[in-house]
Amino acid sequence: MNIIYFLIGCSVLLALVFLLAFFWAQRSGQNDDLYTPSVRILLDDETEPQDKK
Amino acid sequence: MTESIFTEKTTCYHCGDECLSTSYVVEDKNFCCLGCKSVYSILSANNLCSYYNFNDHPGLTRARTDKRFDYLDEPGIVKELVDYADDNLTIVTLYIPHVHCSSCIWLLEKLNKFNPGILYSRIDFLKKQLNIKYDTKQLSLKQLVELLFDIGYEPLISLQDVIKKQNRVNAKDNLVQRIAVAGFCFGNVMLLSFPEYLGLSAFEQAFKHFFGWLNILFSLPVVFYSGREYFVSAWQNLRNKVLNIDFPLALGIAVLFARTVIEILTQTGAGFADTLCGLVFFLLVGKFVQRKTYHHISFERDYRSFFPVAVQVAINGTEKPVPLADLKVGQRIILRHNEIIPADAILLKGEALIDFSFVTGESIPVSKTLGEIIYAGGRQTSEAIELEVVKPVSQSYLTQLWNNEAFTRQQDNRMQTFNERVSKYFTYVLLAIAFGSLVFWLPTSLNRGLAAFTAVLIVACPCALALSTPFTMAAALSIFDKNLFYLKNTAVVEQLAKIDMIVFDKTGTITTAADNQIVLTGTLSALETELVYSTCINSNHPLSRMICQYLGKVNKHELDHYKETPGGGINALIGKYDVRIGSGKFLFGEFEETAGQTRVHMLINGRYCGYFAFRQNYREGLQQMVDGLSAYQTFLISGDSDHEKNELLPIFKAEDRMGFNQSPQKKLDFIQLLQRLKGKVIMIGDGLNDAGALKQSSLGIAVTDNINNFSPGCDAILDGRSFNKLPAFLKFSKNTVTIIHCSFLISLTYNLIGLSYAVSGNLSPLTAAILMPLSTATIISFTTVATHFAAKRRKLL
Amino acid sequence: MQPEKFYYDNKIVRNFGIATIAWGIIGMTVGLIAAIQLFKPGMNMGNQYTTFGRIRPLHTNAVIFAFVGNAIFMGVYYSLQRLLKARMFSNFLSNVHFWGWQLIIVSAVITLPLGFTTSHEYAELEWPIDIAITIIWVVFGVNMFGTIFKRRERHLYVAIWFYIATFVTIAVLHIVNSFELPVSAFKSYMVYAGVQDALVQWWYGHNAVAFFLTTPYLGMMYYFLPKMANRPIYSYKLSILHFWALIFIYIWAGPHHLLYTTLPSWAQSLGIVFSIMLIAPSWGGMINGLLTLRGAWDKVRDDVVLKFMVVGLTAYGMATFEGPMLSLKQVNGLAHFTDWIVAHVHVGALGWNGFLTFAILYWVIPRIYKTQLYSKKMAAFHFWIGTLGILFYAIPMYWAGFTQGLMLKEFTPEGMLKYPNFLETTLRIIPMHVMRSIGGAFYLLGVIVMAYNLARTMMQGKLVANEAAESMPLEPVNAATESGWHRKLERRPIQLMVAALIVILIGTVIELMPTMTISSNVPTIASVKPYTPLELQGRDIYIREGCSNCHSQTVRPFRSETERYGEYSKAGEFVYDHPFLWGSKRTGPDLAREGQKYGNAWHYNHMMDPRLMSPGSIMPNYDWLLTQKLDTTTTRTKINAMRTLGVPYPAGYENKANADLNKQAQGIADNLAKDKIKVKNDKEIIAIIAYLQRLGTDIKANKAANK
Repeated sequence: MNIIYFLIGCSVLLALVFLLAFFWAQRSGQNDDLYTPSVRILLDDETEPQDKK
Repeated sequence: MTESIFTEKTTCYHCGDECLSTSYVVEDKNFCCLGCKSVYSILSANNLCSYYNFNDHPGLTRARTDKRFDYLDEPGIVKELVDYADDNLTIVTLYIPHVHCSSCIWLLEKLNKFNPGILYSRIDFLKKQLNIKYDTKQLSLKQLVELLFDIGYEPLISLQDVIKKQNRVNAKDNLVQRIAVAGFCFGNVMLLSFPEYLGLSAFEQAFKHFFGWLNILFSLPVVFYSGREYFVSAWQNLRNKVLNIDFPLALGIAVLFARTVIEILTQTGAGFADTLCGLVFFLLVGKFVQRKTYHHISFERDYRSFFPVAVQVAINGTEKPVPLADLKVGQRIILRHNEIIPADAILLKGEALIDFSFVTGESIPVSKTLGEIIYAGGRQTSEAIELEVVKPVSQSYLTQLWNNEAFTRQQDNRMQTFNERVSKYFTYVLLAIAFGSLVFWLPTSLNRGLAAFTAVLIVACPCALALSTPFTMAAALSIFDKNLFYLKNTAVVEQLAKIDMIVFDKTGTITTAADNQIVLTGTLSALETELVYSTCINSNHPLSRMICQYLGKVNKHELDHYKETPGGGINALIGKYDVRIGSGKFLFGEFEETAGQTRVHMLINGRYCGYFAFRQNYREGLQQMVDGLSAYQTFLISGDSDHEKNELLPIFKAEDRMGFNQSPQKKLDFIQLLQRLKGKVIMIGDGLNDAGALKQSSLGIAVTDNINNFSPGCDAILDGRSFNKLPAFLKFSKNTVTIIHCSFLISLTYNLIGLSYAVSGNLSPLTAAILMPLSTATIISFTTVATHFAAKRRKLL
Repeated sequence: MQPEKFYYDNKIVRNFGIATIAWGIIGMTVGLIAAIQLFKPGMNMGNQYTTFGRIRPLHTNAVIFAFVGNAIFMGVYYSLQRLLKARMFSNFLSNVHFWGWQLIIVSAVITLPLGFTTSHEYAELEWPIDIAITIIWVVFGVNMFGTIFKRRERHLYVAIWFYIATFVTIAVLHIVNSFELPVSAFKSYMVYAGVQDALVQWWYGHNAVAFFLTTPYLGMMYYFLPKMANRPIYSYKLSILHFWALIFIYIWAGPHHLLYTTLPSWAQSLGIVFSIMLIAPSWGGMINGLLTLRGAWDKVRDDVVLKFMVVGLTAYGMATFEGPMLSLKQVNGLAHFTDWIVAHVHVGALGWNGFLTFAILYWVIPRIYKTQLYSKKMAAFHFWIGTLGILFYAIPMYWAGFTQGLMLKEFTPEGMLKYPNFLETTLRIIPMHVMRSIGGAFYLLGVIVMAYNLARTMMQGKLVANEAAESMPLEPVNAATESGWHRKLERRPIQLMVAALIVILIGTVIELMPTMTISSNVPTIASVKPYTPLELQGRDIYIREGCSNCHSQTVRPFRSETERYGEYSKAGEFVYDHPFLWGSKRTGPDLAREGQKYGNAWHYNHMMDPRLMSPGSIMPNYDWLLTQKLDTTTTRTKINAMRTLGVPYPAGYENKANADLNKQAQGIADNLAKDKIKVKNDKEIIAIIAYLQRLGTDIKANKAANK
């Protein structure tokens, strides 16, 4: 089952990449404000803001 | 001027307040005041009216429209306020109390539309902070703040911006990353340890070593990156000759790692990599949970955080903003509507109508006469006045409090937490057992001895012990949170449970500033009511406004003559009626107000038709609340005269439990007195005059009707609405501590179970790997469930 | 500084949207045809190109990669631009991506019915198309990351993280799973054999589900649901947590598809554990989505789009709960190989992917056409018929799976199999299959109605090909400001992409490792020998006809199976199986021990018309095998290829391979002649018979030897 070495290798590498991504996110302040962005995405309709009624 | 008679209640398109006049209308939209109207016109001018589509009435009422930010031209002050500045770029973070809805976010991130000089504006909704980058060449801080003011988002600028400080603290903390690393490694190590437990067939032995090596690889970052702090703090504590819980933890981690490496290298076993990673991971999660705080609430405020940054000083005829620090005795300062008096000063010019709610909690303004000394902290609510400073800011009647040693004292370690007390003994016992087993086995075999020794340190590693407090506290904290009771940190819960004395401030604390009670003594005919209403509606004096609200909507009459004597009253002619409304002095010359109440008397055509009396309500449920605290000694200290004594007596029972005419300093001293009697005292206050007492007390709780408003430095902030839940809170805090004790017992039993294996020297990795997460899981679930149960019993959920 | 004016590319979104609808209808129609064949074999119209074994892969590919794939790109291209406040990186790449992807699908539609297949489930496409997919996927990646670099919004909304994860993971999975050794333009052999191949296939298979059918849709859910309900997601914190948890757990759930196979037991248990752990993040996501609508249920009542979302999320919840349950050994023992699994995947596909796609279409199309939906009534009808369709589909299938699973395991008090004949169980569940295809028809009808509705919507509106928007550029990077983490920020996405590509490279490099050390340490069995040339050709016909879609080739260690089929399978038996043919569904009986069970004549007649030998059988006639001539020109290359992959054919054997082939073929022809069956020895039927007669016999030989 040598294939397992390889599959583990891939999985761990993949996971590592995501870990690095997480580090980047953390460092660059992506996770500093974990509320406002969720509201912000609702406000992008510049041309015709949807009326709430 | 003539005004149509209101048919139905109209609300302001901008702020949603009731419109008392129809004079502010744009494009069939009504506004309550010029301020709101102007904001709307600014927005529509920049076609940003989508602002009003996301929410109805997103604005803040804007009674006043004059702006005075000249002090923001002072380079010294600007330097204080901005985060970064060079010739082209300035970065500043402003605290904007009014931010409350999506419209706010939308508008405040569009500032560029108003002024291209603004390169970037980002809002943090929860912290109510606006981060702005602007071109220094095109824009000045003053212009920026004025712009914000114009669109209804006046920033709260103060010398002491605590919230910013809080942010800096969190910025450099990387706990989350350490958790991430630990979690990541934990996951992979579990993955790799599985084959071992599930049994590898003979022809798969190759994997075993492969996995073993990977395990070591993964535990390295866990020990030396994630777990580092435990070694550090353990070492430091040893240096200071204290054994805190970090010592056994560090020991456990070290031993786990050492054994893992050795076993795998010598191929004598699978090692404990999974236990190790799990341990560190859970510990860090516990730390994270314990961190829970409210970034959007500040607990550290003192007078500086709401005193103005600078004040207008009159120097030979011209006005000039002067930073408070440079304000000298004898200087003449000019204060306009809504400005705060920065230092004790004598009134020289103008009619002073001072609102002391920040200081005393008393919400009804008092008028001062020329030559009177006005104490710092009051807020002028009528026209501009001129005063002469008699004491420097720091020496004022109020601010000198902060020179008291109570404020220089280190915070937080007022009481040692249960956790700290226990862990010491725990460590001793642990070491004793470990060495005991070592010595016991040594004769038979060294290996067995070492095995036992290390095994003991592994299984007894007080992971669960270390977790029980944080998780319980966090659960409790969020329950208090739900009940509008915000604690500074988790330690406060434990302190709350130790309390035996409670001291209340009166005004603003047990009384509510929100709805003042107006009592009409005497009778008004329908016509008279209309006359009074028509008169008062023209005055901006807070009392007149209250009267109008009290009388409700009635027909308005046209006024032929209207004259308002500031600080005195109103004199109006309506048809053949001569209406005089005002203070006793104003109406009858010499007149002594009885019972220390604020009263407004009415004369119509010389006939006395009674008076309106204003007084603050006690918070509802006060009586039951205090009764509910029978287990504690309760006191009342108030700055006011004792005219309410008789009403309060039934509540606080004994007379000697109540002190009146107490100066801020006296309040502080009183707390000290109680503490000298070995009392663990809660001070519950609201105003700046309680700040000293709050600080001195074992635990200071500030009561406020709006957590965004100013509240003095304290350990907890209580929203007035849940004031009467106080007994429940205290009982609940006691339960919490009991829960912690129980969870300690649970985790100890786990340790004992583990030890029974360990001392014999044969502890399989699997047992450890099962025991550790199991105990952790039990603790976490127990504490959470128990806490919620307790909360339910106290009706807090 | 003035805000920058720019334009969102709506045309590409529209194109992908239309592609979604078109391929959706095609893929589902094919599915319906396939479904009908399961009770009316005649529905193959007596034509090999439309026979179940060949169009079932077409159905899965069309639905997964054409319908869902295009839907993903539609959603990503719409939301990404708006979340990043930037137009897509390059119009050219966008178009290459669009047309390239359609081309790939077309080629799939052509090759699969022609029988060009690797037989790897959800990766059936042959090597040239695999390469094309890789290229187009990279194009997509470049386009996406390019957009991320030139974005005007600093924060990467959680949806984008899901998109990134999708891109990176699928890239790696695809490469790992499609490492094939070409033998001809449209024929290749998997480099891994037997157990290893199976593990790779399901490591891929499961993660394909995870990262193609789940993560991108979660991303879209996190963008479109708040927009549709016009309220922020219930907890943004939770959504972030959801993402990272999902990413780190998913990758290892694969082996649960191989329970009770010859995969090492620890690997199986590993799969189980991680599958169970998956419940947490999955449900975290679902709850987060549903709670977003708390207090807005009145909205849901009169907004069909939200209705679709709610049902979709619920389906997701059900599927993600059922999955881990199915990975429990006991449940799996019963459910695996039965219609239960079919029901399970369709709850996910029809409910989660389908309904979310419809919701997004109904929401996006009117917006980019600046108009209202043509008919709310029709949409409502679509919703109800669709939901009804799902129920009509799922419930009978669960029932069928349960029934058949139990019947196959049932013993008489005497300890004999209650239903020794597999066919009995099949006949029992035919009514359910009928009902299932009715459900499918309902669902398809709904989609057609939607197509009409949206078409009319497009006609009445006018596409805003380039939607104007404006936003401030990301503020100028200023070294002096805030400890310079700005600069990191600007740099990092590039690094992220580089890292992603590196991983793909490393993936491919390590890829070579097992092929070099092909000597897998799978316990070999002496008596297990390579296939003869004829059997090898037969095996390739078996693959071409997609027999493994209905017949498994692995006997699980249950008494019920050893009684029925014979000794349970050993890892060593499959060492020469490039690719493995274990299959994942038993519409017909297992064939692992088929060899020597019946005479050649039986097989001949059975292939000609299965109902001659087993009345009521739903297996289609394979009469074309009787007439078609076996192509022996390929034998040489195939033998060589196999040798490269480590199959021990003696040196130079490729030269005399065809001789052996003819000899063996002649033998079978003669044997058939005894039963009055006249057939030339160069017909495909001979090869397939040879292969079937070989299946699982090596071990028997072993037994004989030991006796």
